[in-house]
Amino acid sequence: MRKRHGKDEGVSDETLLSGIAVGDEQAVLTFVRRYQRRLFGLAFGIVGDVGTAEDVAQEAFIRIVRHASVFDARRGSVTTWTLTITRNLAIDAVRIRRSIPVAPDDRVFLELVSVERQPEDTALAADAMTRVRIALSNLPMEQRRAVVLAAMYGRTAVEVAAVESIPLGTAKSRIRLGMAKLRETLVISESP
Amino acid sequence: MSQYTRDPDKCQMVQDDLAELALGILAGRERAEVLDHLESCAHCGAELESLSTAADTLLMLTPEIEPPLGFESRLSEKLREAAQRDRSRRFRRVSAFAIAAVLVAVLGFGVGVFVSNNGTGSPNRSVAAAPALAQLTSNGRVMGQVVISTDQPTWMFVTVDSAKLSGDVSCEVTLNNGQTLTVGWFNLSGDYSAWAARLTVSAAQVRSARIVAADGAVIASARLSV
Ligand SMILES: [Zn+2]
Repeated sequence: MRKRHGKDEGVSDETLLSGIAVGDEQAVLTFVRRYQRRLFGLAFGIVGDVGTAEDVAQEAFIRIVRHASVFDARRGSVTTWTLTITRNLAIDAVRIRRSIPVAPDDRVFLELVSVERQPEDTALAADAMTRVRIALSNLPMEQRRAVVLAAMYGRTAVEVAAVESIPLGTAKSRIRLGMAKLRETLVISESP
Repeated sequence: MSQYTRDPDKCQMVQDDLAELALGILAGRERAEVLDHLESCAHCGAELESLSTAADTLLMLTPEIEPPLGFESRLSEKLREAAQRDRSRRFRRVSAFAIAAVLVAVLGFGVGVFVSNNGTGSPNRSVAAAPALAQLTSNGRVMGQVVISTDQPTWMFVTVDSAKLSGDVSCEVTLNNGQTLTVGWFNLSGDYSAWAARLTVSAAQVRSARIVAADGAVIASARLSV
């Protein structure tokens, strides 16, 4: 079952952002309701505690509202723009708090790397999500973990090596090979 | 383009690091080397672009988690506060002449105090009022200038003279104690622009300044104190 929130139906992200850019409070509310679970989910997965995750997700919304007028659709979707802002803020928050890399929150991390199960019934971008899940499931598990640690959690090659207890060279090549394969399925297959 | 001869060895070296650059996890000397090579190599540039698209697409996998109760109302409150702050923290656009005049006035003032201190031997100001002045650079290239006045109230001036930059950006400063403050924000457009904003700290407390894009990427930075 999908939860629906009043006016959410049918309004595109781009339309909402234009509304936000001119100060439409209803557009802000609709956007927040549409994205809060994803922004909070991403932030929580990276920072690992509820209070910090809320701060990060809220700061992300503040930035999105502030910069809505300069969103450039040619450079990517609203979803990736929104999630990138959240990811960067969450990684900053983690780096300020601790200097030693720790393993990410297991609950969220395991959900990300175990891609066997069916994707949830997501109102938005179900197709894009399915494609990413399939692409990721084609990678060997060790490359999948390395790529997710880097892409979602902002872990450097040195940190991936530490978390996985592997040599730096191995971490770097897992990231490189995993990304090359993902690019092949996600990017090159898309262009006609 | 025609003058550039491709160096396959260098390209191979750079391509080993491109995935990490696309993921935003490459730092330091490696990052600088790769960015330097990308300036002149369209081939590696195209590689980076497709890898970046793949990296961004991965974020689609983000799991959905219900935020804590009251999230929405706390956010509404913060958004209202942020809107108020933004109104007061918006940099004012100023003309190049204004910046030049301020520079002369500030520099002149600083020199004046310094000379009179030397002449009388009885400095009546504890610190000579030399303005903090630094170049804004990005990967070693000069993009503009930051000037912080030493009179009260403290003003910060930012000039950017690169047509390559555009969009809404914010200006952050890092203080000597490591604290980071967002001074305000402005919109970059055109070849040359200059802005002014009030600073709540003194010039002597500011260690560095940064121009930051909407997504948090640092566009240019300046080191102010010695
Ligand atoms: Zn190259």
